[in-house]
Amino acid sequence: MMTNKQTANSAGDGAILECSGIERRFGGIVAVTGVDLVIQQGEIFGLVGPNGSGKTTLTNAITGFYPPNVGTVRLAGKDITGTAPHKVATLGVARTFQNLALFNGMSVLDNILLGRHIHMKPGVMRTALYWLAAQREEIENRKIVEEVIEFLQLESIRHELVDGLPIGLKKRVELARALVAEPQMLILDEPMAGMNQEEKGYMSRFILDARAERGVSVLLIEHHMDVITGICDRMLALNYGEMIASGIPKEVVKDPRVIEAYIGGSHG
Amino acid sequence: MFYRLSGVHHADYISDSRMFKVPADRNLAVFFLIIGVAAPFIIPSLYLNSYMLPWLIWTAAALGLNLVTGWAGQLHLGYAAVMAVGAYSAIHAAKFGVPWEFALIIGGLASSVIGSLFAFAALRVKGLYLALTTLAMQFVMDWVLTHSPAISGGSHASLQSPTLALLGQDITSDAGYYYVAFGWCVLVTIFMLNLKRTGLGRALVAVREKDFAAAILGVNSFYYKILAFATSSFIAGVSGALLVATFFFLAAPEQFSVNVSIQVLAMVIVGGLGSIIGSYFGVALILLVPGLVNGLVAAGSEAIGMQINVETLAHIPNAVYGALIVVILLIEPLGLGKLYGNIREYLMVWPFDQLRK
Ligand SMILES: Nc1ncnc2c1ncn2[C@@H]1O[C@H](COP(=O)(O)OP(=O)(O)OP(=O)(O)O)[C@@H](O)[C@H]1O
Ligand SMILES: [Mg+2]
Repeated sequence: MMTNKQTANSAGDGAILECSGIERRFGGIVAVTGVDLVIQQGEIFGLVGPNGSGKTTLTNAITGFYPPNVGTVRLAGKDITGTAPHKVATLGVARTFQNLALFNGMSVLDNILLGRHIHMKPGVMRTALYWLAAQREEIENRKIVEEVIEFLQLESIRHELVDGLPIGLKKRVELARALVAEPQMLILDEPMAGMNQEEKGYMSRFILDARAERGVSVLLIEHHMDVITGICDRMLALNYGEMIASGIPKEVVKDPRVIEAYIGGSHG
Repeated sequence: MFYRLSGVHHADYISDSRMFKVPADRNLAVFFLIIGVAAPFIIPSLYLNSYMLPWLIWTAAALGLNLVTGWAGQLHLGYAAVMAVGAYSAIHAAKFGVPWEFALIIGGLASSVIGSLFAFAALRVKGLYLALTTLAMQFVMDWVLTHSPAISGGSHASLQSPTLALLGQDITSDAGYYYVAFGWCVLVTIFMLNLKRTGLGRALVAVREKDFAAAILGVNSFYYKILAFATSSFIAGVSGALLVATFFFLAAPEQFSVNVSIQVLAMVIVGGLGSIIGSYFGVALILLVPGLVNGLVAAGSEAIGMQINVETLAHIPNAVYGALIVVILLIEPLGLGKLYGNIREYLMVWPFDQLRK
């Protein structure tokens, strides 16, 4: 049955993320309803919609912060509906947050090292006997972190506190933290909000390279249509929590319903 | 001046993850370690055992509380009760004939179990409610101690600690007691320094700072909070046991009353949440200043020939050190540790302080 579904939807080597019939309500508000989406392995998938259309809610439903009231979420074929976020993380999903979620008071390096958490075994004994156990683990993981630091060109700020960084750099640190987890599925919630054209260009490049070098699949929430048409393979547009169009970006952005939602809707 | 970062290059990740990255910090630590070892030979035993020793044990205890409050961000108002569990368990075990090494571990583990059981209940609530739950724990423990002679040692509620013996040596000398306290404080400090550079420490801070962000990195907040309580309680338990075995010699419920819980919390806060060196300063301030002020006031009033009645004399130190806490926190809300950090940072670039970012 699984295989049937996969072959029905996939052109490449199988679906990494499948959502079907997702609905999430908050009290009386229906934030998301009837959303189906399939992301193929190695795909960069765009998610657009006016403010309040339910994009973030959908990612919260996938990552377990606000489990869907109706519908199922599958990761690489496995049902993960309603799984707690910290478990979803260990299954290979990483995400960044729309409003940034770096740990203040910590250095860039420590923030990114936390992305390695699921690959490490932090414990009391290991900490006490640092030289016997933890040191090697720390160094090994530091090396992996340094690769990503180099990839995202964060070398010069690695020892700085994240607190005072400009927003563009913060977004990059958060991307680094998500990438070092070596996820199969990377969810980016407006990674380019507040960035200028040049920074957006860099960020797009990083996302494309991350896929090329690491084979990660990406769910990208973005308001900038040029970015979506530029780097996404397929996309989905939401309005008032419902799907209004999906498919190839060049076609979706021309869809009258999408244009209507963005011009006539609550877009800000 | 002495502190310099320029010219210090970490060429590999091991050196970059050293306990002390600035050579001056390392030298200072070694210097104080040597002082600590030599203390019995240079400090009169009266001062050694009535000031140095309690300072070291309370610092170890405060570091334990700092782990849960400073690192993991959980307010804890029942820390003295957790220390009591360790103290009474260890002493009863030692009385029963268990070697002290194991008795201390039993004390630590008993605290750990009780402390995390409470945490288990308490962590269903957050913030102030958690604080209140831990306070309730303190009152329950006070009640248990005063109402169960079997634990607290008969009708006088005082429990004689058997002679301390470690590694086959009876410890009865002043220097011996001091070294036990010193050794324990060094161990706890090393643990805390390691915490600063390992995944466990990072996970705890992550849980404190933003639990939802921690979650999506795979950090199970509940688990790490419990782990923080368990570890901190272990440190509390052993510290409590050592306090009785090397300082009080008699365990009594008042030694671990609610006042004491608040005092340890004050030590940690004045020292600075999450600051190791700060806990040393905080304990020194809270523990030693009242005595010092007392002496000064007594000497001062004598010098000007003024009679101060005993009651006033007893209150002046409290008032002074209360004021001192307020002043310190007004100057630097992050406590003495941060104050020290500022000075150190200043020295690091002195006299080129215009280079500072
Ligand atoms: N935790 C919550 N509690 C109550 N309502 C919520 C919650 N999260 C989202 N909503 C509501 O759900 C709807 C969808 O919000 P959501 O944040 O998913 O939109 P979005 O598409 O991400 O918007 P934006 O582009 O502004 O980020 C909104 O009406 C919002 O008010
Ligand atoms: Mg959003």
